[in-house]
Amino acid sequence: MIDKPKVGIYGLTGCAGDQLVILNCEDELLDIAGALDIKFFPMAMTGNDEKCPLDIVFVEGTVVQPEDEQMLKKLRERAKLLIAIGTCAAWGGMPAMKNETSRQELKMQVYGAASEAFKTVTPQPVSNFVKVDLAISGCPIEKEQLLQAVASLLHGDLPRLPSYAVCTECKMAEYPCLLVEAGQLCLGPITVAGCKALCPSYGQPCRGCRGPVEEANAASEAKVLQEKGFTSVDIQNRLRTFAASADSLKIESVEECTNA
Amino acid sequence: MHKSIVIDHICRVEGHGGITVNIKDGKVSEVNMDIFEGSRFFEPLVVGRAYDEVAPILMRICAICSAAHTVVSLMAVENAFGIKVGSQTRLLRELLVQGGNIESHALHLFCLVIPDLLDYPSVIALASDHPQEVKMGLELKKLGNAIQETIGGRAIHPVNAVIDGFGKLPTREQLLDLKEQLRRGLERSLATVDLISSLQIPDFCTSPNVYAALSSDEPGYSLFGDKIALSTGDTKDINVYKEVCREKVVAHSYAKQSWFKNKPFAVGALARIALDGEKLSGEAKKAKERLSLSSHPDNMLYNNAAQTVELVYSIERSMEIIDELVAVGIKQEKPMEVKAKAGTGTGAIEAPRGTLYHSYSFDKTGKLTEADVITPTAQNLANIEKDLRVSVENLIDKPKKSLTPKLEMVVRAYDPCISCAVHLVEVNFE
Repeated sequence: MIDKPKVGIYGLTGCAGDQLVILNCEDELLDIAGALDIKFFPMAMTGNDEKCPLDIVFVEGTVVQPEDEQMLKKLRERAKLLIAIGTCAAWGGMPAMKNETSRQELKMQVYGAASEAFKTVTPQPVSNFVKVDLAISGCPIEKEQLLQAVASLLHGDLPRLPSYAVCTECKMAEYPCLLVEAGQLCLGPITVAGCKALCPSYGQPCRGCRGPVEEANAASEAKVLQEKGFTSVDIQNRLRTFAASADSLKIESVEECTNA
Repeated sequence: MHKSIVIDHICRVEGHGGITVNIKDGKVSEVNMDIFEGSRFFEPLVVGRAYDEVAPILMRICAICSAAHTVVSLMAVENAFGIKVGSQTRLLRELLVQGGNIESHALHLFCLVIPDLLDYPSVIALASDHPQEVKMGLELKKLGNAIQETIGGRAIHPVNAVIDGFGKLPTREQLLDLKEQLRRGLERSLATVDLISSLQIPDFCTSPNVYAALSSDEPGYSLFGDKIALSTGDTKDINVYKEVCREKVVAHSYAKQSWFKNKPFAVGALARIALDGEKLSGEAKKAKERLSLSSHPDNMLYNNAAQTVELVYSIERSMEIIDELVAVGIKQEKPMEVKAKAGTGTGAIEAPRGTLYHSYSFDKTGKLTEADVITPTAQNLANIEKDLRVSVENLIDKPKKSLTPKLEMVVRAYDPCISCAVHLVEVNFE
């Protein structure tokens, strides 16, 4: 049991949703704050300690500019454990969706001639820059997984996260299959579990917001989707929404999968 | 005498921003609200996507305002395709948005602002001396999230609101359970009015403001409307929102700034109450009088008092919506099958921080060809700089140590959502 670990919580570029999940633990927040010694949490605190060593740092967001990279490296140096929270930190998230388009081109589209003043880097997950001890994915992360992680860390352990797919959770809950029965573009079979198949529980297809499950077979998923009548563009777009940088989600083209 | 004041990183706001003030011969020569949150280029990213992927992508501009982003995005898609939603969908969407307003205002007031007014570094530090107040704030926040979970399926980035309706409709029991929670929340929101009315709101940032908010001919205060009303007396249709938000790129900021007739303007709770406060009723009307909102129209620090009034309003309105839904009975409506066609549609909504616009064009296959999103914080940036200038001028003789927290307080009063503000489409050169 670590006695009151010194903790940092920081958001690189992103929507702040994973930090908000922490603040959304309304029933547990004061207990969490009592069990941890939160030294650095600029979104929620003033008077942050910018230098002290940290036992654990939680980082959300994507690296999209040089400042993100510098801050991330600084936090890594300060912390014994670095936990990536959210799909942006774990997989690059939505900002990394069109990395084949040059940032220069996107900057021109958005800021015009003034774009020269803005520095960008190709959006990447934090593991491309520093060692990550644990990644809790999700867009946003699940409150329950966060609380379990904090409880494990207080006992000096890393939590065990599911290594099976949303599809498994969905079957266990006995929701009607949106992929096979309803013919929807559902990524449940290749997305890592942990959300209790939230979207299918509302009759909505899994969009893959939690990133790929280990050994995801995207080619086989693409083949099924193609048989359901989806175009190569639709399938590629859906695969490349939250974790475009994941090797396991890269398929050359749907035609090629069919031939494989 | 100070030469410059630089605040590298404003804490207790969502996203990363700073303030730079340059002073020459005892006068403020330059004030910049620096935004250094990185760009995610959402608008070009969504180009080429199918119409049903647009809301799930663009809601992720911001977590705190994700309910508002979702609903306005769906409205813009529906307007592009000429889809008119039924009254049940309209009411449920409004309930979702009211839930977002409750959560966002409670988060801002209790976690970010009240610690300022009582001189604590964070809500956690505040909790050690004022546990009852903090618990009350967290309960209110939880209420907003409970509504968003029940109607939207998730507190952040809702999954259940779709084009022309909802994936799964709430049951009568779920709605009645929410109403019970709202009833308890109303008590807490009134206690929040007591708390805020007991706090001293300083007046160092008073200067004339131009306000903008959505309006409609419907009775009652609302977060929806088909026209943009300005305190200058101008009104514009939402389809010509660009005539209000003339955007320009400024070198110190990744966010573009909005100006109307060469004047900065403000959006948000204070703007809404300044323009439409007469339409408030019930306890919200009394709260507005208690917090003497009408007598401080030009002090943006009163935005926090306005948020308190809206906390009461959103709770009362949510109860009304539930009464209406329960009285008619939930109809098992399924969203219609969308017939995609080429077209352009604009949606506008009052998000917690002010008017939010989404505007899209689609090709005939329903793929998005162009997106424009203008967030409340982007509209407020120029006004924040105006208020920072006024505040520095009023406080210039004070030592730096006491001045900088006051400047941060000005920024925080706007409840800026810096993630939201950073983004944007093609630039219009003028």
